[in-house]
Amino acid sequence: MSGVRSLVAMKHVGVNVAADILMSSGYAGTNAGFIVVSADDPGQHSSQNEQDNRWYGLISHIPVVYPSSPRDAYKLVKEAYKLSEKYGHPVIFRSTTRISHTRQIIQLEEKIPFEKKCKGKFDRNIEKWVLVPAHGRKQKKRMMRVWKTIMEEEGRPPFITVYNPGRRRAIIADGIAFSHVAEAVEMMGKRDEFTLVKVNLPVPLPYKPIVEALKDAKEALIVEELDPVLELQVKKILYDNGLSIDLHGKDIVPENGELDLDTVYKSLKEFMGEPVTTPWKPMKPLELTPKIPPRPPVMCPGCPHRNTFFIVKVAANKARLKNPVFTGDIGCYTLGYQAPFYTQMTSLEMGGSIGVAHGLSKVTDEPVIAVIGDSTFYHAGIPGSINIIYNKGHAVVLILDNYYTAMTGHQPHPGTGKTAMGEETYRVPIEKIMEALGYKTYVINPMNVKESINKVAEAFEEYKKGAPVAIVSRMKCALEALRDARKLGIKLPVYTILEDKCTGCMACVNPIACPAIMVPKGSNKPVIIAELCAGCGLCAQVCPFNAIVLKEPGSPDWIKAWY
Amino acid sequence: MKERYNIILAGVGGQGLLTLGRILGNAAIIAGEEITIAETHGLSQRGGSLIVQIRIGPGESPMIPRGAAHLIIGLEALETGRQIVYANENTKIVMNEFLWPPPLALYPDINQIIEKIRERGLKLYVFNANKLSEELTGSIISANVALLGYTMAIDDELSKRISIEQVDKALEKVFRGKVLEMNRRVLWRAYEEGGKNK
Repeated sequence: MSGVRSLVAMKHVGVNVAADILMSSGYAGTNAGFIVVSADDPGQHSSQNEQDNRWYGLISHIPVVYPSSPRDAYKLVKEAYKLSEKYGHPVIFRSTTRISHTRQIIQLEEKIPFEKKCKGKFDRNIEKWVLVPAHGRKQKKRMMRVWKTIMEEEGRPPFITVYNPGRRRAIIADGIAFSHVAEAVEMMGKRDEFTLVKVNLPVPLPYKPIVEALKDAKEALIVEELDPVLELQVKKILYDNGLSIDLHGKDIVPENGELDLDTVYKSLKEFMGEPVTTPWKPMKPLELTPKIPPRPPVMCPGCPHRNTFFIVKVAANKARLKNPVFTGDIGCYTLGYQAPFYTQMTSLEMGGSIGVAHGLSKVTDEPVIAVIGDSTFYHAGIPGSINIIYNKGHAVVLILDNYYTAMTGHQPHPGTGKTAMGEETYRVPIEKIMEALGYKTYVINPMNVKESINKVAEAFEEYKKGAPVAIVSRMKCALEALRDARKLGIKLPVYTILEDKCTGCMACVNPIACPAIMVPKGSNKPVIIAELCAGCGLCAQVCPFNAIVLKEPGSPDWIKAWY
Repeated sequence: MKERYNIILAGVGGQGLLTLGRILGNAAIIAGEEITIAETHGLSQRGGSLIVQIRIGPGESPMIPRGAAHLIIGLEALETGRQIVYANENTKIVMNEFLWPPPLALYPDINQIIEKIRERGLKLYVFNANKLSEELTGSIISANVALLGYTMAIDDELSKRISIEQVDKALEKVFRGKVLEMNRRVLWRAYEEGGKNK
């Protein structure tokens, strides 16, 4: 809007939240280069789905640039900006986990310019920015012109590259799939036998190079991760251009999970009509008794969520709050779905805990506790909290404040006191927000286990009487506490279990599941792995026999690391 | 095309696998070798199974097929055992003598894992990297660097591509000050230990 280049980044599901403005930005266009960087997560390494965001390009009429490697990404970001500025149109820059989370050596083609243009002037172009129907109709025509011109004109390197045209067999692959294809055909020694099409602009797919590559081919295979986005477009191009060839895609290449060299190698073999074998002979898994247990991510030693979940469960018993439903949200605390906590029974979307809790409180008679993290609360929990109280729902809102957006790497949020750029700013206290909305709000420090249990039990009593109740559990993320301790030269306390006092009752093991406490092979008494203990003291407060004591008391001011 | 040299780093989130990847990446730059390092982060960092896939040599596809690892560096015994599917009969395995069970789980003991790997005829080196790190730094925080130092001494194929001196130099890109000096000592001591067990 102001003539300054811009970039916005989010993961694939983040685009769902931004979809409203994304649709409008295709209509409005841009005054300077604008790219939306978004990484999909094929294989769901840490996401709730593996949606294919290339579809967003088709629905919003925004072109999608998709690199084949980190190195490609470096080059294509520049090309994406050029494309955006050439057409005055936004560009989606799609990545995937394997591109965004891979390191590669990249040689800079030029020096990064020292002078940045960060200031502009708002362009008071009402027809562009006010999408009332009359303006929207005009903008739609502009957008479709851009869309069709890109399809017509941009079928060129680096967006589309055709290798070895004129072969009987062709392979079309976009993004990272192309990297797997290139290595597989190289390994087979068949690079020259195929016409290879490297696609880095999958949406809208420019038709000219596709026609060029397929006009002499008898058979073609489309290799793409997830959905048949290329396949549908290539089929249309073939039809529109009167070409009829034997075309394969999702009938051979898996549509679920991420592709890798192994999978692509097998797909190529199948396409070539050869036995589906690979050159690799993997070892079978080891036969062990017991078997190697799965190791899903767990809450770290000292994690405040462990304390909070333990406290909430004990307090619910104490207040006779029977079988509460815990609606959940997205953050490290989602791990509470596992044994022994079971304090996350839904996890569907950012901010969903509160909306789902509201709905459940209307249609069931079960007690409902919405569990939401601090960062999620700030950006997606406040409207839901207003909705519950205003529209007479009845659910406890439990907000876990650990000072940071911990799961994604400790980015600051409005409760941290630092801006996104790291400058000091004030804190927006969650309890003040909840109080202002009309919630009876309790704040606990879950490091003080007994006191917190009493407070939470009191909150549950109030909830049972019909009051709107919110609980804020505030304790710093343990990873940050450890980091701050190192920074400040503070030694944190370390606990140990006295063997003679320990009865092996497992009260510090079963309800807590701390990774720093293990039961050695052949023993019935747990031990604390000193190197892992963060000194939160939960186990010591839980032990009924006072068998857990300080091994090292830590620095006198150790508590500072936690605040 | 020169064959890519494939290394799997296996362990538990938080053990310093990503740092190890960064060290090897910087060492590759110094050595003038192409490299890709595929990591997973985020939720999978929190005490879960973690692998880092490193491929040295020209090529863009970042993932290692099962059975295609030349070397597995395991920072924890259960995770080393789990990732054995990346090995073939010629794969070298360097394993930290450390078993860290997930909470509330039944698990096989470390000797059984060692025995079963050896039964497959694989070259397995077991080294107590935690202990060396603790001796030199007072904590297990440098076990990752210790295991790398040890591996550099026993794996000629790796040291043909990246030398111990280049790894030493790469530490400067990843650590600073006292921490750098500490890791240097750990690297070279572990390298010595590896040399004795080659």
